[in-house]
Amino acid sequence: MSTTPIVTDAALVAAVADEDAGALRELYERHGAWLHARLIRRCNDPEVVVEVVQDTFVALWKDARRFRHDGEVGAWLWGIAFRRMVSRLRSHRDVVLIPEWDVSPTLQQVMPSAEDQVLLGVEYGDLAAGLRRLSPEFRSVVQAVVLDGLTTKEAGRLLGVRENTVKTRLHRAKAQLRATLTEPQEGWR
Amino acid sequence: MTTRTEEWHADPALLSRYLAGALDAVTGSSVEQHVNRCATCRNAVGSLLEPRLVERTWAGIREAVERPSLPSVLRLARRCGLPEPTAVLLAGAASLRGAWLVGAFLSLSFATMAAYASGGTALAPFLLVAPLAPVLGVGAAYGPRQDPLEALIATAPYGRTKLILLRTIAVLVSVLPGTALLGLAIPGPPWLAAAWLGPALALVPMLLALAGFVGPRAAAAAVSLAWSGVVLGSTRALAPTWPVEAAQQGVYLGLAVAACAVIAIRAGADRQPGVAL
Repeated sequence: MSTTPIVTDAALVAAVADEDAGALRELYERHGAWLHARLIRRCNDPEVVVEVVQDTFVALWKDARRFRHDGEVGAWLWGIAFRRMVSRLRSHRDVVLIPEWDVSPTLQQVMPSAEDQVLLGVEYGDLAAGLRRLSPEFRSVVQAVVLDGLTTKEAGRLLGVRENTVKTRLHRAKAQLRATLTEPQEGWR
Repeated sequence: MTTRTEEWHADPALLSRYLAGALDAVTGSSVEQHVNRCATCRNAVGSLLEPRLVERTWAGIREAVERPSLPSVLRLARRCGLPEPTAVLLAGAASLRGAWLVGAFLSLSFATMAAYASGGTALAPFLLVAPLAPVLGVGAAYGPRQDPLEALIATAPYGRTKLILLRTIAVLVSVLPGTALLGLAIPGPPWLAAAWLGPALALVPMLLALAGFVGPRAAAAAVSLAWSGVVLGSTRALAPTWPVEAAQQGVYLGLAVAACAVIAIRAGADRQPGVAL
């Protein structure tokens, strides 16, 4: 069952820094598809997704040396990709979509299986319930800053509000979440 | 992370719903948080995505990665907003290479020094060289002998006129500022620093018009000789500034207009502007 890669992602990034195209391909095999998937959920234009993923891996090829080996490669790539996508907002106002928080009724009938419920419980505790209770403005801020890892400034650009508004909403959203949780969780301070 | 999440993997149905956007955001985010840290599930997503999309993206990445990096001139031109094919065509011009530009600048510097040393009595070296630098640059910027891309350009559906004019502008842009700076060092009346621009700009259309008949090399030679004759002939009896005084400027302007007319008429007659140039 265990598919622990023999070569770690970080080692591959180091190989890419030494201009090893094979290592770039391997990293693409490991992370390319998932990047597509995450971006497709946030963007209405597949062409833009293709371009953003391309930009991301070209940036990886050029800037592999800048990878500080203290985080996960996947998260780093996501950071590059999503920032590229947000910066596209400037030129094409229509490309980035925030995921819909409320799915249409027909789709919602497909409820998560018991296993998925376990996943939600393990990953978040009661956080899922807390998130569902937030107002849409607060949830989109939590999504952009906490889950997608944007800075408050970038989130402001994405959501079309001022940075200070993002900070205020984030602060209040966290307070609300904290109140719904039985105990404060790590990483949500 | 607990052992539960390490053992647990999102089943294909859940991932499909995620890809289809059929999960609400909380469940979707939850799936994301898991898959971000789970190589098995990332691979599973790969087999659910359309392979052609993923391969198309990779083709673009490989192309960008394998393409050799552009020479500095090209990157500069690209940064100025020129499309890449145009930038490549521009950089093919002999007179836009570093060696040519350095040579032009050096000869101009010597001419300036000579004029400066004479204290304004002998302006001929500067007046001779300053207008010729852009003209010779334009002459060397295109034509069968000087152009390493000639065979490509001859067969490509790229307007020859467009190319020649583009290179002409590029040469003028690269040569004129340096010449203008050196002109400031010339002793004599202040207007002199700009006066050489008149013949310089008038000689370019004359060169282009002539080149349509005899080719760029012969045309450059003819124009240079004519200008040298004007400047050197005037040193015998006339004032040092004579070649660039108002009356003479008028003549240059007239000649330039005539040259433009010749180019326009020939282009109209052939319906193939490239032939005229």
